[in-house]
Amino acid sequence: MSSLRIAAVQASYVLMDRDATIDRVAGLTAAAAREGAQLVVFPEVFVPGTPIWIDTQLIWEGDEDWFALLAEGAVVVGGPAAERLAAIAAQHQVWLVIGVSEREEHGATIYNTVLYFSPQGVLAGRHRKLMPTGSERTIWGMGDGSTLRAVDTGLARIGGLICWENYMPLARFHLYAQGVEVWIAPTLAIGDGWVATMRHLARENRMFVIGVNPVLHADQIPAGFPGRDRLFAPGYLERTGPWLEEGNTVVVAPDGSVVAGPVREREETLVADLDLRAVATARRHLDPVGHYNRPDVFRLHVDTSPRPAVVETPGGAFAAGNGGTEQPTISESPGG
Amino acid sequence: MEPVKVAAVQAAPVLLDRDETIGKVVTLAAKAAAEGARLVAFPEAFVPGYPDWVWRTRPWDASALVLYERLFDQAVVIGSPAAGLLAETARRLRIWLSVGVSERDDAGSTLYNTLLHFAPDGSLAGRHRKLMPTGGERLVWGMGDGSTLKVIDTGFGRLGGLICWENYMPLARTALYAQGVDVYLAPTWDNSDVWVPTLRHIAKEGRTYVIGVTACIRAADLPAELPGRAALYGDDGDWLSRGNTVIIGPEGEVLAGPLTGEEGVVYAELDVRRARTGRQQFDPVGHYSRGDVLRLVVDTTPRPAVSFGSRDETAELTPPPAE
Repeated sequence: MSSLRIAAVQASYVLMDRDATIDRVAGLTAAAAREGAQLVVFPEVFVPGTPIWIDTQLIWEGDEDWFALLAEGAVVVGGPAAERLAAIAAQHQVWLVIGVSEREEHGATIYNTVLYFSPQGVLAGRHRKLMPTGSERTIWGMGDGSTLRAVDTGLARIGGLICWENYMPLARFHLYAQGVEVWIAPTLAIGDGWVATMRHLARENRMFVIGVNPVLHADQIPAGFPGRDRLFAPGYLERTGPWLEEGNTVVVAPDGSVVAGPVREREETLVADLDLRAVATARRHLDPVGHYNRPDVFRLHVDTSPRPAVVETPGGAFAAGNGGTEQPTISESPGG
Repeated sequence: MEPVKVAAVQAAPVLLDRDETIGKVVTLAAKAAAEGARLVAFPEAFVPGYPDWVWRTRPWDASALVLYERLFDQAVVIGSPAAGLLAETARRLRIWLSVGVSERDDAGSTLYNTLLHFAPDGSLAGRHRKLMPTGGERLVWGMGDGSTLKVIDTGFGRLGGLICWENYMPLARTALYAQGVDVYLAPTWDNSDVWVPTLRHIAKEGRTYVIGVTACIRAADLPAELPGRAALYGDDGDWLSRGNTVIIGPEGEVLAGPLTGEEGVVYAELDVRRARTGRQQFDPVGHYSRGDVLRLVVDTTPRPAVSFGSRDETAELTPPPAE
């Protein structure tokens, strides 16, 4: 199959309400599937929504209740929310790619993560954002190099990075080298500069690019949201306008031309048919990891090892009776 | 560090006439200097002009070979009077002068697509040979090695650049970012409407000023005696390049241009302090990099085809390993 129908869903979440937001994911995915979409893409941290207070208020200023909602609403891989998302993908027989705030089951650190569910309802890929941006650093941790894998859907090789990670040339190059044909960039970034970046990425790796944003108006914040009246610093909305998420969803072809969007200040699902043959033919002009690379000059080393906080060695180093000098075996990173 | 005025010159070379084209460089650089520019940038392969015919002729056609012969003859050799005239122009005008040239070694027969940076003291402060020609260009130009990727400190900011589609090489760009490039030159032949978005992206990715500079030339600008002119080129409406010259700020904002369809000089005032403090938000080789996960190694060793020496010296002459 050389053509892929995709849906990029620009929608509103129900702020910090995981289950209500997943209800929206179910409805929007069903609608996209009815239009024949094979790949349905949702924005950055769509579940349970953007922790908007990190920009609307002073850092750590009366945010205890809000962070508690985020921690409670965060998605745990293997937990019920993730299972619901998997079931939505399976029910509609689509690839479902969605940004979530994620944490370990017993963890308190939240990660900015994108999950890839197959039409069989299997979690086929997970990427934790390597580097949060600005105030995001007060709320999200950093992923390691183990979640930078492209996913082969059988229809196309897909992969991507989250928001300003898309400005990390080395991370992009690592994914390019895995043959990504359809790049997925869930983001909160607004404005024409972001669209320019989406067009650049498409042309740099001669691939399709899907940039997908949420959209949220201040009036959409639930009436019962705790501390709703102090969510915004004085004058904040007057300064920025009522769109907390303006939207910027766009689909770009491998020559850098815009296929659909950008959509702003409204909900809309962009549906597009991507002719995947265009990728290979465009790469005869430029292939950044092939004939237009110079591996004799540049060599990128990537440490793809998982880096948990603790490496357990049951009965290992300290049981060996050698005074603890024996080091646990840690697999060599490719970078050495 | 004070703001500085820079100029990007969109002009037509006198195709395959080195001295006439350098004459235009001298005139236009003087004009820009008189306007207060302290850096004047010219397009890709401007001297003696971009070999546009690689896109209009079949490889090894006689019509292409005769043009190649002329290009070979008119190429710039470092240390030659032509290079000396460019250096003298920079010195006399007290400017930084960056010019794209087709270049070759004195005793060499391969041409390179090279960007030369002359300092206000008339020295050749930097030379970059394009690492990878594009498509039909590969029949005309060789490839540079990793030794010409250096960023230069000008006193008003760090100057570097890549040529045309080299700007789509993420690792090459990262090598420049890591040297703190503040003023990033992107001479090009690319006329597409994606080019400006690409330069906006690079500006924002590197938090650097970007100067895109493109030739503007149509068939009417071609010398009458250019071999094969009538067969290969049409009338006034036949554009070889419409131009696409633009200057971008470190937030990705367009400061001046893009200029298309006419010759002209595009100016902007740059304040590299803005670029550097802008990296508080994003620094691709600092707080927004992940050296523990992604590590780039660049081989900057010159890689000549042959190294000469006595037997005792050859051990030293053996190039070191890549790392």
